[in-house]
This record gives sequence, C-alpha cells and structure tokens, in this order.
Amino acid sequence: MSQQREAVFPTRMTLNLMRTKLRGASTGHTLLKRKSEALTKRFRDIVRKIDDAKMKMGGVMQAAAFSLAEVSYATGGNIGIEVQELAKQPRYTVAARQENVSGVILPSFEAIVNKEVDDFKLTGLGRGGQQVNKAKYIYGQAVDALVELASQQTAFVLLDEVIKVTNRRVNAIEHVIIPRTENTIAYILSELDELEREEFFRLKKVQRNKQRDAEKLQIAEKAEKERLAAQESDAVQSVEAESTTENGAKNDDMNAFDDDADVVF
Amino acid sequence: MEAVLFNVESGYAEALCRGLSSSLIKSAQYSNMTQCDTLEDLKLQLGATDYAQSLANVASPISTSDFQNRLFAKLVADFRYLQTTAVEPLSKFLEYITYGYMIDNVVLMVSGTLHHRNKEELLERAHPLGWFDTLPALSVTTDIESLYDVVLVDTPLAPYFKECFTVAQISDLQIEIIRNKLYRAYLEDFAQFCKTLPGSTYESMIKMLGFEADCRTINIAVNSNGTGLSRADREALMPRLGALYPVISSQLARSEDPEQVRAVVEQCAVPEFTDCFDSSNGQTLEDHFYAEGIVLCREALTQQFSYATFYAWLKAAEQEVRNVTWIAECIAQNQRERISGYVSLF
Amino acid sequence: MSTQKSNNRTLIAIIGDEDSVTGMLLAGIGETIKETGERNFFVVDNKTEDNEIVEAFTNFTENKKDIAILLINQHIAERIRPLVDAYQNAFPALLEIPSKDHPYDPEKDSVLKRVRKILGE
Repeated sequence: MSQQREAVFPTRMTLNLMRTKLRGASTGHTLLKRKSEALTKRFRDIVRKIDDAKMKMGGVMQAAAFSLAEVSYATGGNIGIEVQELAKQPRYTVAARQENVSGVILPSFEAIVNKEVDDFKLTGLGRGGQQVNKAKYIYGQAVDALVELASQQTAFVLLDEVIKVTNRRVNAIEHVIIPRTENTIAYILSELDELEREEFFRLKKVQRNKQRDAEKLQIAEKAEKERLAAQESDAVQSVEAESTTENGAKNDDMNAFDDDADVVF
Repeated sequence: MEAVLFNVESGYAEALCRGLSSSLIKSAQYSNMTQCDTLEDLKLQLGATDYAQSLANVASPISTSDFQNRLFAKLVADFRYLQTTAVEPLSKFLEYITYGYMIDNVVLMVSGTLHHRNKEELLERAHPLGWFDTLPALSVTTDIESLYDVVLVDTPLAPYFKECFTVAQISDLQIEIIRNKLYRAYLEDFAQFCKTLPGSTYESMIKMLGFEADCRTINIAVNSNGTGLSRADREALMPRLGALYPVISSQLARSEDPEQVRAVVEQCAVPEFTDCFDSSNGQTLEDHFYAEGIVLCREALTQQFSYATFYAWLKAAEQEVRNVTWIAECIAQNQRERISGYVSLF
Repeated sequence: MSTQKSNNRTLIAIIGDEDSVTGMLLAGIGETIKETGERNFFVVDNKTEDNEIVEAFTNFTENKKDIAILLINQHIAERIRPLVDAYQNAFPALLEIPSKDHPYDPEKDSVLKRVRKILGE
C-alpha cells in the first residue's frame, strides 16, 4: 500500500495540495496524449511515405544505372577512375531545414545545387558527351529522390525516439502518478472522515449526556418542586446531595465510551 | 603485282582476319539474343557463336560485366594472334591501331599520377590493346616531370606528346584536353602512315579515319558548349582530317550553342552526317556514328589486298562487344524497349 | 540524439561499387580536399576487405562531421550488416541504395525492417 500512495500527513492542506497535483497530472496527461497522437499521426504518414519511396527508389536507381550503361556504350570504356579523380568540389549539397511538429524539431534536407560548379565539364568531350550529360541529369534526379527519402528517414528515426519517450511519459502519468495521487487523496479523505466521525460521535455523546443530565435535572427539579410544594421548609440539604450523584454518573459514562472506541469504529 | 606481294607477306594474316570477320554475330543471332529473358539465356545464345569458349566457365550468376570482360578478352587474344603472324608493314599498321588505346592508357597514368593513385590498380585498368612493354615503367614515376620524361623516352607516343605539350603545360591542363589533343595528333599521323602503304589501303583508311575525325569534331563542338573553351582551344582539339576539315570544322569551332552546331552540320552536305542530329527514335549522336561507322567497316571488308581489312575487323568486333554488353544491360535492367539499340555488321 | 547539430552537415557521402559511385559523382556530390586528399566517397570492389568497409563506414558516420546523408549500396551494407543494423543515429542519415547488379531487396533494409514492423506487416 505504501507504494501506491505518497507518504503524507493526512491534513486538509495536503488534501488540497494533492487535488491540485491530480488536476495538473490529468491536464498533463491529456496534453501529452494529444501530442503523442499528433506525432503518431505524422509518424504513420512518414512511415507510409518511406515504404512507398523505398520501393520507388529501386526504379529510379535502375534508370540511373541504365544511363550509366549508356555512357559506357557510347564512350566504349569505363569513366570511373577519371570521374573519381575529377571530383573536387561538390556541386550537389544539402541544407538542413527545420520543421516543428508538436514541439519536436524535425530536420529535413533541402538540395542545393551550385550551378557554377561542374567538375566533369569536359568528360566525354571527344566521345559520349551527350550520354554523360544525360547521366548527370538522371543521377541528379536520383539524388533528389534520395535526399527526400533521407529527410523522411531522419524524421522517422527522430520521431520514433520522441514518440517512445512521450508514450512512456503518458503511460507513467496514467498508470503510476494518477493512481498514486488518487490513492493518496482517498487515504487522506478516509483519515479525515474518520476524524470527523470520531468528532461527530464525541459530540453526539456529549449531547446525549447533556440531554440526559438536563432530563435528570428536570426530573429532579420537578421532584423538587413537588417536594417543595409538599414540604417547603427542608429543601436546601437534599438538593446538594442530588447534584453530587449527578457528577459521578457522568464520569462513568465518559469512561465507558473511551473503552469502546476501537470496537465501535 | 601488288596482290602477289600482299599475299606473300600478309596472306595468312588476312585469311585469319577474314575468318574472324565472317564469324562475327549475324543479325539473325542478334534478334535471337534480344528475345532472351535472363542473362543465362543470353549466355546460351552466345554458345552458338565464337564466344562459346570464352563464356564456358563463367560462374553463375553471370553479370553484365562478365560478358563485357570475357568477350573483350577474346577480341584482344585474336588481335594479339594476328599481330604475331604479321610482318612489316602490316605489323607496323597493327601497332598504329593500338596507339589509340595507348593514348587512353597514358592519360590514365598521367591522371593517376597527378592524384597519387594506387599504381597497381591503374595498371589493372589499362586497356589491354593499348598495353606496351614500358607501361609499368610509367607507374613507378611519382611526379609529373619524371612521368613526362618517361613518356618521351619509353613510349611510342613520344612524338605526339612532344608536339602537343611541354612539361609545364601538362600539369595545368584538363585531362580531357590532353586526351583529345593526343588523339588528334594520332589520327593525323596514322593517316600519314597509311599513305605509305600499298594498294587501296589509304583510300579505305582515309575514309574510316576521316570519319572518326569528323565524329570527334562534331562531338567536341557539341560537348564543349558552356565549358569555357575558346574558339582557338576548340579548333586545336579538332583533327585536321576528314570531310569536315577545314571549312566546316572551323565553323563548328565558332558555333556557340548546340542548335548552331546542328545547323552547320546539317547544311554541310556530307551525307554521313546530314541526319545525325535526328533524335526521333531516341537515337543519340553516338548511335548514328556507330551505325555509320559500321557501314564504312562493311565497305572496307569488301576490299581485298588492303590493310584496312584489319582495321575494319577490329572496329566491327569492338562494336560487337558493345552490342552484346548493351543487350546484356537491357536484359539485366529490364529496359526491353531499348534493346534494339545495337548495330549489326551483317 | 536530437541534440546533435545538423547545420554544418551539407555533404552526401557514398560507399558503393564503382558504378554507383561514378553515377553519384556525376550528379555532383563528390568532394576532394586538396590538402589531405580526403574524400567523401569510397569505392568497394571485389578486392576490398570487410574491415576496410567498416573503417570507411565509421569514418563517415563518426569522424567526418560534415556529412548529412550517407548512401551505401545494399549488397555492401549486407557485408557489415550488424554494424548497419545497430546504427540508429539521425545524423548522418543512412540510406541503403540498390546497385546495378544487385536489385533492391526491401527485406534486408534496416530502416524498412523497422517501418514494416510498425505498419504491422
């Protein structure tokens, strides 16, 4: 039981504190849940897109590979080494753009093509230049597709992580914090109730005793009056004796109540 | 008289060459090959050709580069065999043919050395037809000066190098410029050499070499657009040879954009090139050139007692390797609609 | 993970066979730093050892801080699969791409495997 409620002293102030905490937790829970849902929605979009894009990539890359086959058909040789030696300065670079999805910063890549730079201007000059240009163009498109895919994949990896964390927090609130706070509140309430009932019973008891005393007093007064009426002369002594027994009986009642307390409640 | 002398010295080699030419793949076989669904099928089809041996022990799965490498290895072996049977001046002629490939190899070495590339890897990539005994010597050089010296001393390309560059120029120049300049010198020199050969060799050869020169000229004109090469630069790359030289080539060197190049070429009234910019069937310049080139090869093969036969055979066989590789690529990459892009000799 | 800075990551790097690398270089992704000869591409041929691939992979993923996207041929990723599967970072983004001789197999892609799991397929 001690794990399911917090170790607090059951007072009204703590009760208020706990109630505020519960309210906070459930607001937080709904908010986080909404965030998680928004992220998950986005995530599913991305997942589906990745699935499509990955499958499409096969086709794009094949077209690109074929354009390279055309190059080697036209130039009658392999331009690999030459191209590797000529590559100096990147023409195609990417920049990370940032996008905010429910408070999560998702980077996505944007292609930047520097038209000034072309390391392979002269490749295929004497032979096959057209095919080389075509291959450049088609591979450029392939890289476009890959950059797009990379953006989604990065978003996928980041979102996956964030969603995991968010869900963990949602679950923590839902299954640990809220029940615990509720338990604490219930505990405080029950303790307070118990105190109240104790108080109530005490009051009742006091009231009853008072009533009984009052009745006795009345009866005594009545008897007194009657007696006074009957014999008016020797009144003072008998009244004093009455009130002494009164006090003794009252003390007895209080003692009985104390002994019984645990049994009754 | 010429005929008698020709056969005394080169009759055997020519017979070999004829034999090789007649066993080149026929168009019926090509159309069978285009029906193949997998590369294994293609391998089976090639079993009916001279390439059966070359492909016999290729491990599955066979790849397109296997086709290219094996077929090419056979071509090289055939050529080397022809060389061993040849005597002067045929042997010299065959050697001249290899100079073209040597240019590629030397350029490869130069660019590799400039970038401190692994030498063994470079040697492996050298074109086997352009192999010469001192090529590995190039690979031990580490800086461009000594490379230049070695090229001058040790390679048959020395005259071209000397003519085209000084050592200071070579490290500044773009590798493609070096290649094209050397090639220009080579084509011109080859044509000069052919003049010294007997019979109809020069007539046939000048056609083919001229055609090759023209193709390069047009290509350079088209591809140099937007590269910042000046008119003089371009003109310095265009071979002084062929039907387009000198009037049209200088016009081409002056053209500013592809449309202008096209207009010049189409008006030049050289029948081979009038429709070479026609891309209605998705054909490229290169497709047109290959098709025209093979026509010239066919013509050259009808000549007798001519060294041009050897050149024509080599070009046709090279085209054949390209064709098979192309068909293999189309099959492997599922590009069926492009598969008929090959050029058949017969 | 999300704290990594991405602003100075601008390059696309590739580990691939010669054709894939050539193609990507033609598209213009290549960079060679003149002084060090350092490059953002790595060619794998049939002589390349697995540990060289591992070295290139760790170099691109950990040491070089200017790479935003790392492309790797799937059949090469297959050779260092445990390393690739264990790679979870967002930067550089790791993409498995098909090569000419090896068509794309979605079953082997490490990210797609996770994607498929989420889609419940």
